[in-house]
Amino acid sequence: MFDFDFNPEEKQLTCTFKGRMDTVVCSQLMAELDSKYISLSENEDQDALLEFGIVFDLKEVNFISSSFIRLCMGAKKRVKDGRFSIVNSDPFIKKTFKIAGLDDILNVI
Amino acid sequence: MADNITERANDILERAVFAAAEFQEFNQEQTNTVVEAVYRAALNARIKLAKMAVEETGIGIWEDKVWKNVIGTQLVYENIKDEKTVGIISRDAITGITEIAQPLGPIFAVTPVTNPTSTAIYKILICLKTRNPIIISSHRNAVRSTGEAARICYEAALAAGAPEDCIQMIPAGSRDFTQTVMAHPRVALILATGGTGLVKAAYSSGNPAIGVGPGNVPVFIDESADIPYAISSIIRSKTFDNGTVCASEQSVIVEEKIAENVRKEFERQHCHFLTPEETLKVEKIAVVKDSMSMSPFIVGQSVDTIAEKAGISVPKGTKILLAELSGVGKEHLLSVEILAPILAFYTAKDYHSAIKLCIDLNYLGGIGHSAGIYANNEQRVMEFSQLINAGRIVVNTPTSQGAVGGTYNMLPPSLTLGCGTGGKNITTENITVKHLINIQRVCNRKMNDRFFNVDKDKYLDENCDETDLRYEYHKNH
Repeated sequence: MFDFDFNPEEKQLTCTFKGRMDTVVCSQLMAELDSKYISLSENEDQDALLEFGIVFDLKEVNFISSSFIRLCMGAKKRVKDGRFSIVNSDPFIKKTFKIAGLDDILNVI
Repeated sequence: MADNITERANDILERAVFAAAEFQEFNQEQTNTVVEAVYRAALNARIKLAKMAVEETGIGIWEDKVWKNVIGTQLVYENIKDEKTVGIISRDAITGITEIAQPLGPIFAVTPVTNPTSTAIYKILICLKTRNPIIISSHRNAVRSTGEAARICYEAALAAGAPEDCIQMIPAGSRDFTQTVMAHPRVALILATGGTGLVKAAYSSGNPAIGVGPGNVPVFIDESADIPYAISSIIRSKTFDNGTVCASEQSVIVEEKIAENVRKEFERQHCHFLTPEETLKVEKIAVVKDSMSMSPFIVGQSVDTIAEKAGISVPKGTKILLAELSGVGKEHLLSVEILAPILAFYTAKDYHSAIKLCIDLNYLGGIGHSAGIYANNEQRVMEFSQLINAGRIVVNTPTSQGAVGGTYNMLPPSLTLGCGTGGKNITTENITVKHLINIQRVCNRKMNDRFFNVDKDKYLDENCDETDLRYEYHKNH
């Protein structure tokens, strides 16, 4: 459903998603992402965690539901402002974030 | 003072209402006679009014203002002259519905400094064609030329039998007074063309309004486009009246693979790419940083004047200044709407990045307005069009002239372009006579047999579900 990659040097998490991010998929994703994050954060203190970078790569995503937007917002809140970004969105998905008014906040590239 | 303002507003509206009362007695023929007379007089005055407007406002090029006056008079007239706008305008024997056009009443029209006389004439023509008196409020820097346009139209209208006070102009200068008239309960509709503040004031007045605000027109040149043709078309549009049309190109977006060719073609056709230092200098004089809006001092100015103000030197005969930008928004001031021959130029690494950039530009103050694409690939044209929020997407066409309609395509010629709900408008259409009438529908009795043939007890029966009711509704009786 998604690939999870952590670069310890840059303290950057990259999640690469695939396919349709509909409500059902997102409810499973949410749990998986949470558990990954918890396992990763066991050895870090709270301040260090805020410095992490989180990147969602949507290269192979062709649909996002409102649950996925919520999921992005949740992930964004885990880190400092500007440390979350969404990359490789196709123009239709970019427009979806634009219409939701979250294009800037979620740093959609 | 306040009373004085109210009294003056009451006086203007009383005159307008009396004119409206008389006007609604006109038949189509009498109305057409008035419109034709006004069109003739205004078209004959096209050159004088164009020169006056440039002289008074210091904006634009008189020859291009003549063109605009022609659009506002001849093209608008040719487009509306045969329209039915009085009494019964359609009758459908099959549906039994007859449509009757009624005038709205006094229309309060605000006209801009960039296209003063053409907008005034166009609004006068569409108001008179729909038997609505018009009250014009001109931008304070264009009062004389707008007033002259209104006077010429008014005299012609009176001579053709139009009601007294069917065209009035309110003195400019007092914001309070303008707003009092705008919010007057006897105003039927506000037709506002101008800046964001004005449009907001129109919508806040409590009266119905068609307010058309700013644009920020992105133009995408696809790899399938004919590049020399595209560049010459963009130049024709962006230099037209020194870029004062709100539908003029604001940024050009290309993919990396054709960027060099596009750049060379712009240079070959006498456009100048600003160096980063020059870009900073132009930014300073062209955009007000705090409000992220264009400076009024460069609106409709020539390249030479802009270069002089910015303190840069450009080759003689330069048509457009291009600034290569890497992003959109506060850090890139030239990405905002600038009604002058200054264009932002973006290179994107691939097609998708280019389109995403267009979306960003589109949302930076230009939602719902216009956009352009140069491509010979129908699929890309359609994809671009579905992604961009614009009332008009013009294809392989100069956007200034294309969006206004009547010349490069069959859009209704208009100097007020609806921007849809994104631009806080009720329509994305080019505003014309059909927006200035109340259409009454006389509905003759035509029974819906399917509904009346359903056994009504079935609707009251809990055991009948949608499947049963659908069967009952659609079965042949």
